[in-house]
Amino acid sequence: MSETELDPDVTIDSRGATCPGPLMDLIGKVKEADPGTVIELQTSDSGSKGDVPEWLDEAGHDLLETVEHDDYWSMYVEIN
Amino acid sequence: MTGYAIVLASKELSRVQAVSTIASVAAASDVPVEVFATMEGLLPFEKETVESGDFDVGPVGARMLEAEDMDVPLFTEQFAQAKEIGPLKLYACEMAMELMGQDLDDYVDVFDESLGVSGFLNRAQDKQVVFV
Repeated sequence: MSETELDPDVTIDSRGATCPGPLMDLIGKVKEADPGTVIELQTSDSGSKGDVPEWLDEAGHDLLETVEHDDYWSMYVEIN
Repeated sequence: MTGYAIVLASKELSRVQAVSTIASVAAASDVPVEVFATMEGLLPFEKETVESGDFDVGPVGARMLEAEDMDVPLFTEQFAQAKEIGPLKLYACEMAMELMGQDLDDYVDVFDESLGVSGFLNRAQDKQVVFV
């Protein structure tokens, strides 16, 4: 299990959900989050690794880090 | 371009599901989407079809319906959820409804209203039209 020093303000557990579940969960939280908020999105959908950064790029938020766990990924997002 | 106008004319589950996925993420991202379900595209929305799960499926659609290890929300749920958070509207084609002798009550509750071709074209004027 990989480690990170990031300490998220919000954690979204979307493990088990397929596309577009994790992304939709993230969008919902991003909409109500203040700038500077760090969100951890937990996803077991491998497609999220490409799709979430694409969405963030267009929406203007940052992907800080993607951490791989045994059976899911944690994607750390900072709201701009 | 200020969004998408999607013409859904297929009853095949993969197509309907793809439309709901793309439309839902677009609308959640504040991109306006109008979906016009016409011809066979109306059939998967029939209450009876949704309740029985008797969809027209290919290999991917079949896998989606039987997947127990994955949580795949059906297009009806996706549409309903997305309509609450973004600019997404669904219209049922008046002519197809009439041909089938049905009204909006025969379909799951995701349609905003029924619409004719002029109504759809008016709403599609400023949008990228996608035909599925």
